[in-house]
Amino acid sequence: MKRIFVVLSVLIVATMFLSACGTPTAAPTAAPTAAPATAVPAATTAAPAATAAATEAPVMAGTTALPRNETLYFAGQQWGSVVCWNPYSSNCNNAMAIAEQDNARVTMFETPYLFDMMDGKVYPLLADGPYAWDAGQTKITFKLNAAAKWNDGTPVTADDVAYTWATHIKYQDNVGVSDAAYIKDVVAVDPQTVEVDAVLGSNGKAVNPLVVQAYLSTDYVIQEAWTKTLEARVGGDATKLMADPAMDVAFSGPYGYFFADDSKVVMVRNDKYWGQDASMFGKLPAPKYLAHVIYKDNAAGTTALQAGEVDVSQQFNANVQDFWLKDNLPISTYLPDAPYDIGASLPTVFFNLASYGLDQVAIRKAIAMAVNYDTINANAMTGQSATFAAVPRSLMNPSAGEQALYDSSDPAIKALQFTGNDIDGAKKLLDDAGITVGPDGLRQYKGQTLHYVALCPNGWSDWQATIEQVAAAGKAIGIDITTNYPEANPFEAAVTNWPLPAGYDIFMMWSDGAGPTQPWGRINHLMNGVYAQTKNNWNGNWGGYKNPAADTLINEIPTLTDPAKIKADYTALVKIYLTDVPSFTAMYRPQSFHTVNESVWTNYPHQGDGTNPPVPPLDLTDGWSIAGLYNLTLVSQ
Amino acid sequence: MKGYGKYFLNKLIWLLVTAVFAFILNFILPRLMPGDPVAGIMARLAQGMANTTGLKAVYEQYANLFGTNKPLYVQFFLYVNNVLHGNFGISFSQYPRTVSNILSSAIWWTVCLQFPAIIVGWLIGNWLGALAAYLKKGFDAVLMPVSIFVSNLPTFGMAIILLVIFGVDLKWLPTSGGYGFNMIPNLSWSFMWSVIVHYQLPFWSIVLIAIGGQAIGMRSMSIYELNADYVKYSRFLGIKDGKIIGYVFRNAMLPQITGLALSIGTMVGGALVAEIIFSYPGLGFTLLNAITGGDYPLISAVAMIITLMVLLANFAIEIIYGFIDPRIKAAQSD
Repeated sequence: MKRIFVVLSVLIVATMFLSACGTPTAAPTAAPTAAPATAVPAATTAAPAATAAATEAPVMAGTTALPRNETLYFAGQQWGSVVCWNPYSSNCNNAMAIAEQDNARVTMFETPYLFDMMDGKVYPLLADGPYAWDAGQTKITFKLNAAAKWNDGTPVTADDVAYTWATHIKYQDNVGVSDAAYIKDVVAVDPQTVEVDAVLGSNGKAVNPLVVQAYLSTDYVIQEAWTKTLEARVGGDATKLMADPAMDVAFSGPYGYFFADDSKVVMVRNDKYWGQDASMFGKLPAPKYLAHVIYKDNAAGTTALQAGEVDVSQQFNANVQDFWLKDNLPISTYLPDAPYDIGASLPTVFFNLASYGLDQVAIRKAIAMAVNYDTINANAMTGQSATFAAVPRSLMNPSAGEQALYDSSDPAIKALQFTGNDIDGAKKLLDDAGITVGPDGLRQYKGQTLHYVALCPNGWSDWQATIEQVAAAGKAIGIDITTNYPEANPFEAAVTNWPLPAGYDIFMMWSDGAGPTQPWGRINHLMNGVYAQTKNNWNGNWGGYKNPAADTLINEIPTLTDPAKIKADYTALVKIYLTDVPSFTAMYRPQSFHTVNESVWTNYPHQGDGTNPPVPPLDLTDGWSIAGLYNLTLVSQ
Repeated sequence: MKGYGKYFLNKLIWLLVTAVFAFILNFILPRLMPGDPVAGIMARLAQGMANTTGLKAVYEQYANLFGTNKPLYVQFFLYVNNVLHGNFGISFSQYPRTVSNILSSAIWWTVCLQFPAIIVGWLIGNWLGALAAYLKKGFDAVLMPVSIFVSNLPTFGMAIILLVIFGVDLKWLPTSGGYGFNMIPNLSWSFMWSVIVHYQLPFWSIVLIAIGGQAIGMRSMSIYELNADYVKYSRFLGIKDGKIIGYVFRNAMLPQITGLALSIGTMVGGALVAEIIFSYPGLGFTLLNAITGGDYPLISAVAMIITLMVLLANFAIEIIYGFIDPRIKAAQSD
């Protein structure tokens, strides 16, 4: 017993002594050390055992630590382990490399064009010059930049673009099944010229030109030669193709795989990246490594940001201004004052129109009018949303581009744009509609007391704060609204089906942010009757709203070219939305949060930074925001 | 030894029967959860996409792949077949990563954090508890309230206190990660050192609470034994104090060993709180994500490992008791 005690005491004392001497982070080595680095002791790479083709990273030998002044650290993008590097897969969970979305992430794979949410335009990346529709609006043609190359040195050609599309269709991956209704084919006219043929409607024109255009800035160009290698490897099996870890994938972007395990993912710059050609960026991006430590929750990421271990954070930080006002940290956002970021998406509260009473406009509008949105902004967003006084509600996000697309001076619309907390107005609306207060103090519709449950997923704190305000609004006007916060998975499974289960009366869901098809895409998802009351519905209109007049306008807009007509249609849609109130916007939210620590790197995108085209605050990875990587400088220089 | 044979056979049969029932429950119970694993994947995809036309078809693809649209008994037989071939299946939430791959990368962090923490906490706690029972008076008066206080601190409370004091304020130790945020795993001393340094706070957040709990338990058992008749009798016989204490602690230790076995059995569930607060790699957080995402294969696999470890630990304890507990020895030779 005594011997055990002695040994244990020595061990404990030694551990404490050694740990007390330890520094919080190891000093970065400037040059690779001589220590052998082939074995990985506790952590393994995330490559699954699905195929035997997975290989260890070739660049790991000798590198023990990433040099701080060559690495840009991220937080808030990558949650959980990276599973694969396969651009054909829809489940790689590889946030640093793969995100085919409105503002495509172009660190490793590239699109022909990049969307800039600041001005609503697209700029060429792999393409050379703007794209053009033909006179009959049946196809788009664009040229490829002759300087564009893959990381193996071979040029990016039109055959790559065509073969990528053919592969999407052949194997029915997410892009294939999504775009097949709008794009008929992608053809290589010559090695530098691509033609995208649209699916034509009965009028002989493209069924939806907006979606066809969006393909050019949303979906990657993948190398034909590598795709053929992959196809041979999986024997043409679609499931295996999409499940392949693709550690050997060819890419044209500035960064490629360096290291990944359960704790972090690191990408390393390809110093032969074609984009340093004068026709594109003219130089290499500043950081040599892009690294993302995998934090378990927001708090850990925030602590790391404050400690200077994170440079770019896509996390929501409550009261972000306290970082520099109170803590005197070199942390900043795109805008120096509230709302600190550019609002782009519209988290929306939906009504289940099949719930008793919620088919009545008066009840829906009264609840929406009574909600205190300023409190939501203060509690849920800590001031990081534009107010409805500053940006009156519509279907558009606060960006200048979208706001210009409807007639905000129309008096009929102005009369409909409630700013919230209008308890008296809501009560009057209900009284006038005959929905009066019963003996128990609660409102009744046709003799039945109104009871509703308002929900959002558990743990989404800003949404929960919003739902609490909805319940409070109900209380203020005499409607019993209780709250419920199920886990995200059962919630999402429930709201995407029809009919909605009992107890799903009022609920929050996402709506589209900024993108090349917006605001049409958002309106389509919010209001199009084709999605209403359907099962397995991942599109939108989850409350089951049907309005043929709205559908006509929604289906017409993508085919229009006359700006005046487009504006008239959008204005009409806003009018319908604010009159019928099938759902209502709770707040404006940034496309991505963009908070940066300037202790190592500086010259991030910020308001008035003079960049042209303007670099959006999308964490330097999405859409035109990638240009921000080329402007970074070290603080020490 | 004939009596022993019957005793062990009896325990073994119960082990196997329990294992079979646990296996069946491990399969059924996660699948009774509300929610839909494919919905989690779809939700991740749908956000940020303007063109969601194809998601319904993608949903069908995944549902077919995972077999979630098949009847439960069909899924069960597929599952049994796979497990008998050593294949735990493919994770839903981390598709196409296999469950074995996820477990193998996460389990070592969990075991290396939990196992030493449990052992160290157990040893120190029992030693302090025994000492308090023996010394009584001053030492006991301090140790008892401190142990009660520390053992009843919730794990997240202890973890956050240590994090704030040693990580944020004093900056002696790092606040998150299994190793340095700028390190790449390799066999250099600086990496090993980084792992040790990052190990401290999660380790001590578990150990300190374990010490408190063990100390109270051991103290109570020791006081009970010290007041036993055979102790007084031995003293009257003139046997030395040291020898008596040896007997006392050997008896007092028995329930503590049972507790230790159970702790080791359940340790694979991961130190969830420590992992979240310190962003420490391990199985706990993986399991939490699996549960919230309805990842049946991963949940079933981890639950089965925990079940088997608890059963084996219990079985091992019963074997050991058979040898060291003289009452069982006596019962067998009857």
